[in-house]
Amino acid sequence: MSISVTKLSSNGVLRGGVSFRNLSVVFPGHVNHPPVQALDHVSLEVRPREFVSLIGPSGCGKSTMLRVISDLITPTGGIALVDGEPPRKARLARDIGFVFQDAALLEWRSILDNVLLPLEIAGVPARERESRSRELIELVGLNGFEAARPRQLSGGMRQRASIARALSTRPRVLLMDEPFGAVDQITRDRLNMELVQITEKTNATVLFVTHSISEAVLLSDRVVVMSPRPGRILSVIDINLPRPRSLATRDDPHYTELIKFGAAELERGFARNEH
Amino acid sequence: MSTSLAEGSTPVADAEHGWIRYWPMLWPPIIATIIITTVWESITVYFDIPPYFIPSPSRIFEAFWAAPGTLLWHSGITLLEAIIGCIIGSFLGALLGTGFAYSSLLARGLLPFVIAANTIPVVAIAPIIILWFGHGIESKIAVTTFLCFFPLALNMMKGLQSYDRVIMDVFHVAAASPLQRFFKMRLPSALPYIFVGIKINVSFSIIGAIVAEFVQADRGLGFVIMTTYRNLNMPRLWAALAISALIGMVFFALVSLVERMVIPWHSSMRTES
Ligand SMILES: Nc1ncnc2c1ncn2[C@@H]1O[C@H](COP(=O)(O)OP(=O)(O)OP(=O)(O)O)[C@@H](O)[C@H]1O
Ligand SMILES: [Mg+2]
Repeated sequence: MSISVTKLSSNGVLRGGVSFRNLSVVFPGHVNHPPVQALDHVSLEVRPREFVSLIGPSGCGKSTMLRVISDLITPTGGIALVDGEPPRKARLARDIGFVFQDAALLEWRSILDNVLLPLEIAGVPARERESRSRELIELVGLNGFEAARPRQLSGGMRQRASIARALSTRPRVLLMDEPFGAVDQITRDRLNMELVQITEKTNATVLFVTHSISEAVLLSDRVVVMSPRPGRILSVIDINLPRPRSLATRDDPHYTELIKFGAAELERGFARNEH
Repeated sequence: MSTSLAEGSTPVADAEHGWIRYWPMLWPPIIATIIITTVWESITVYFDIPPYFIPSPSRIFEAFWAAPGTLLWHSGITLLEAIIGCIIGSFLGALLGTGFAYSSLLARGLLPFVIAANTIPVVAIAPIIILWFGHGIESKIAVTTFLCFFPLALNMMKGLQSYDRVIMDVFHVAAASPLQRFFKMRLPSALPYIFVGIKINVSFSIIGAIVAEFVQADRGLGFVIMTTYRNLNMPRLWAALAISALIGMVFFALVSLVERMVIPWHSSMRTES
């Protein structure tokens, strides 16, 4: 089953590149609340089809970065680009998929109708959006639950539906903000392996926020370690583990090494946090 | 309370049983009614309570049965006033509530007036409305409309503001238009609140119609209650009361039934057994 062909622009260049250039975001303060510098001159280039994880202490601006790329927040300084164009353009072209920590499904809709919601909003004909959504439901392993209501599903299953929904418009960029933060460890391991397969099939660039360094190493091409107050990039770790990743990746001695290194970097971020 | 997939697939089987599936909901009030009427009847007979003070259920039924046609005709008038007023008032209230939800300026400007107007006792405003709308059925509908306006205005506003912020972000990322946000997200999220408002209005509309008829009318249950009281025909007054309560109950049950069909997904619809 082919879910999506690689997205090429008219001149044959791979699409889905994301750039942050000197990006700053300051949230205005109010009475008794000083303004918050969520991001301070952050620069990062994400190549098309790359899987990049953002990790760092709470409040270092990970979510803010994803919200800028999805045009939920306008930066106060610098620029963010998707294939050289402003996020707003990518959003209106339905080229952004967003998976939130909360599955955020519409409880009055069936799983199928939840998955096809973005296509419905985009005005895709009913037959087409339904067949596309059925494919995606199969991809995320929810076959048989098309007619179920969200409340009938477990947290892990709801998150799968949310991933299918984010992929429905074949986005160039998939943003995931702690998508497995609320599921148990065993489910999380399984979802991680499934995510490896899903992202290999969909060809989307992925920006993945997590608090788990092992999850970040397992899934990513690069891990971006951030520190808070103000939000900055502390280091970028190349994860040169062979692909495709599998459960066997965890037996790779280099995997353990990378996790140790990443954890030490992360520690630096927390240390800065305390000052 | 866990709704498993197996339970979710039972509606097919339920359809075969038809109304019997409502039996668990029906039998407790039926048994309660039988017990209450029996006890009531026995007490009035045993203590020989005069019927003008507390008539027994059988006396009340006799009073109804003496002229069922006229009582039902009067009830029909009241019901008509209540339903029309409930529909118009709920609709207008929902409209203003929508305005409030979308414009904080409008809400800040008018909400104090709405809350103030809401505290005016209906008995105080009814004579004024009747003065404006005349002695016909229209003025009773107007009083009912006035009363049914506020529950929907407030609940619609609250309901439309009750959407999930993350779902709003989902709609934003999907580049949904304001109209799509309204119909696919905010209105469905508001439905539980809308039903709360409508259920309040079921009682309000009957109260409004009867109070308006108290003030001035030559027909309707309010008129019957007024005249029977003057003649101290208490069993007939009680019969009129019973009918108005019965109307309210049936009306409420109908709305609840519609609610079950429209928002079966809502948590308030889960039956805990
Ligand atoms: N809408 C907002 N208004 C004001 N301040 C905000 C807003 N959103 C985020 N912030 C602040 O900006 C900073 C960065 O927030 P952000 O949500 O990006 O952090 P995060 O790295 O995702 O943290 P977490 O791991 O807890 O999710 C925090 O200090 C937060 O309090
Ligand atoms: Mg966050």
